[in-house]
Parts: sequence; C-alpha cells; structure tokens
Amino acid sequence: MGGYGDVQMIDENGLRMDGRKPGDVRPITIETGVVPVADGSCRMVWGTNEAIVAVYGPMEAHPRKIQKQDRAVIDVAYNMAPFSTTDRIRPGFNRRSREISKVTKDALESVVLLELYPRSKIRVSIEIISAEAGTRCVGLTAASVALADAGIPMTDMVVSVASGKVNDVVVCDLNKEEDNYGEADLPMGILPNTGELVFLQMDGDLSPDEFKQAWDYNVDAAMQVHKLMVEALKGGANQ
Amino acid sequence: MSEPIVPNLLRDHLSDLAMNDARLDGRGQYEGREIKLETGILPRAEGSARVTMGNTIVLAGVKFQLMTPYPDRPNQGGLMCSCEVRPIAGRHWEAGPPSPESIELGRVVDRGIRESGCIDVDDLCIIPGEKAWQVILDLHAISDDGNLFDAFALAGIAALRSAIIPAEKFEVGEDSPLKVSKKPIMCSYHKVGGRFVYDASYKEELGGDERIHITLGDDDHVHSLQKGLKGIFTADEFADIMEHAKKRCAELRELIN
Repeated sequence: MGGYGDVQMIDENGLRMDGRKPGDVRPITIETGVVPVADGSCRMVWGTNEAIVAVYGPMEAHPRKIQKQDRAVIDVAYNMAPFSTTDRIRPGFNRRSREISKVTKDALESVVLLELYPRSKIRVSIEIISAEAGTRCVGLTAASVALADAGIPMTDMVVSVASGKVNDVVVCDLNKEEDNYGEADLPMGILPNTGELVFLQMDGDLSPDEFKQAWDYNVDAAMQVHKLMVEALKGGANQ
Repeated sequence: MSEPIVPNLLRDHLSDLAMNDARLDGRGQYEGREIKLETGILPRAEGSARVTMGNTIVLAGVKFQLMTPYPDRPNQGGLMCSCEVRPIAGRHWEAGPPSPESIELGRVVDRGIRESGCIDVDDLCIIPGEKAWQVILDLHAISDDGNLFDAFALAGIAALRSAIIPAEKFEVGEDSPLKVSKKPIMCSYHKVGGRFVYDASYKEELGGDERIHITLGDDDHVHSLQKGLKGIFTADEFADIMEHAKKRCAELRELIN
C-alpha cells in the first residue's frame, strides 16, 4: 500500500476515477474452452485484467515423491506474461508468483474432491496476459471455472474479490491506481453456495467498521460474479 | 518437455496414411490449417498479435526498454526475442527452466527476423553511446497442437509491425511506429510417415521424424534455416519443400499489414 493520502481518487460525487460507485465491480467477461488442447480452460477479462487458465488431468503424478496415496494433488502455476504490465517482467521464477501459486493451490485443494483421484495430479496453469490490479483474484476465480469446465468434481467454485480503502473510503474491486495508492487491500476467496471462505489475505490499515464494510462488499460482489461464472459454463455446455 | 512415449501404432498409422497421400486430419501434404491473425490484442504491450492455426494458439507482445549501446556499437539499439512455452500450452510442456526445445524455438524465430534486416538497429539509437531502444519480442504459447514455430514467427513479425515506440512514457520525444521494413515468414515441414508435410499437428510431430524450418524474406531471400530432430533428408526433398515454401510465404505475407 502506497498510502499517498494526497492522491485524490474519489470525486465530490463519491465516484471513483473510473466512474464506479464504491461498491461497484469492474466489467467482467468469461469464456470457456479457450485452450483447445486442455481438459478444461477459461479466459476471464475483468476490467483490463485478462487471465487464461488451463486445467490438465487428473493425470499421473510425477515425480513420484509428490504423490499422495489417498488423494490427488493440485499443481498450480501462476505466472505473469512478460508483456502483461507497463514495465516488462523478466520471465522466470519470483517470490511473488510462488506465493500466489501456493495460496491459490491451498484454496482450490479446499474445494476439489481430491480423494476421488488417489496418486494423481491435477495441473492448473494460470497465465496473466494483461494485469491491472487483483490478478490473484482473477486467476483463482478463472481457475475455478476452468476446473468446472474440465469436469472435475468440486463442492463449490471459489469466487475471489478484493476490496480496500482509498482516501478513507472503502471501495470494492480495486483498480490499478487504487491498489497502488490506496490504504488497504483485502482479497478473499468465497464459496457462494455456503458463504464459507477458502482464501484470505490483507494488508494495509482498516478500522473495525471499514473492515466489516470491505468484507460485505466482497461477499456481495462474489455473488454477482458467481452468476456470470455459472452463465459462462452453461453457455459452454450448450455450444 | 517430458520425453513423450510414441506409440508404434501411431507411427504405423501415419506411414499407412502417407502411402495413400493422406493425413490424420484429412489435409493434403502441403495444406496448412486455417490461420487467424489478430493484432493490437494486448492492452499492456506496445505491439501485439495473436495467431490461431487450428488448435494451436500463440501470443506475441512487444515491449521497449532504454539501454546503453554496447561500446563497440555506439550507434545501435538492440532486438531481443524471447520465447516461453509454459505448462498452459499442453500436457507435454512442464514447468521449470526453459527447455532446449523452447530455447531452439525462440532462437530460430529470432534469427529469421534479425537476419532479414527488417529492423534497422541504427534507427533505434537515441543518443550515440548513451541511449538507445531495446526492442523485446516475447512469444507466449497458449495452446500447442503442433507447429509452434510458424505460429510464433507469424505472430512475432505481425506484433513488431504493429508496435509503437513509447517515447513519451520514457520522456525521449514523441511516440512513433516502429519501422519494420520487411516481412520475413517461416514455413516448417515435418517428415511424417516417410515424407515431408507442411504445418504438422502435434500428433504428426509426435509420430514423425526430422523437421525443417525455412524463413524467407521479401523476394524469396533465405534468412534462416534449421533442421531439427533425428533424421536424414535428401537434396531433392529439400528442393521440393523450398518450392512450396516460396509460394506459401507469399500467401502468408498477404495476411500481415
């Protein structure tokens, strides 16, 4: 969080720089079957974020040391393409993408019925093609749709949204400027059917009331996004 | 890339097909898959393209950086071509450091573009000895159903030709289109069932032998050649595919602005 209080990001009418009200989510489009060689895939455009996710498997888990005798493992690779940001990213491993891969795996392993596929591996590849803010949320949400597209049994799809605070106003679904100069960021991974959580991070500064507001924004937004996810999957099945 | 297991059944089947002048997906020996080329599709890149060839999909993005010219070439900028085939592109591609296959891909595409001289590196110099542009072409595979080489080469040159130098962002003048004077095009041929076919699918690559990549510039000048994988070919075979490459490159050149 930059915490630059002097950058004005909410106008006198209470609107944000991109014209949204504090509780509004950016426009989202979801498409399935975009990686024809994969078992399941999803492209999610969320604001100017774009993520493409492919799911392969369940398949033989190798190297064998990663195998679990009683269930499958999920191998998540989150990666930002070199051309996805304003300044080019050098290809290769970095600590940020490692961490995001790990928390995404932890979230997905909480919903996939892993015990149905002992000793196997499900590979989830998340490629961020264009980044604005909240790529981990877009990646995790798109991964849920891709897993569903691959026909992998899950208790629920994960919907991930981040809310935060700019100029002392709590706002939903932070954009790039709000993420860079805002005062807080609270990404959550929500199961829309039960309201349970499988992913939670936060950094910044929120009062108890602000925290409650950001939490509620995330839950409401997740319900909206979930409808789009279901629509996209139904559309794919009818094609 | 994990070492794929090649079923003998697949090899035998491909041989049988070749004997009847047929291919797995019903194409003719030198018939390519349908190609779709779109440019300007990546909002954060200064130039971009997406190529769809059947089920093969690739992206190319161009970014610019400021560099200090090399001491022995103070009046020149640079061109860098980098290729990544990540696990998203197919179950046979695995995570980890770049595989020899993906390095070969990037280098062969790079040579075709570089050696055609389509980018004048002298033109990329801003202040001799101090400041120059480095053009970085990143090739990114989304779905690999064979012949990533041709898809990358086409996406690469199309992305470069759509690129705008972001001079205003770096405060070194006004934005202007990157000058790309030529259109080098690659055509790739795989030995499948004992004969060369154009634009092999992944199954044909899997059950095939050696491959040959030819990059031709405007006026059919040859800019790069590469023979890959184990296999032997004759001068006559090469002459045949070269004849086809000339025709096909001219057709593909029409797709690019």
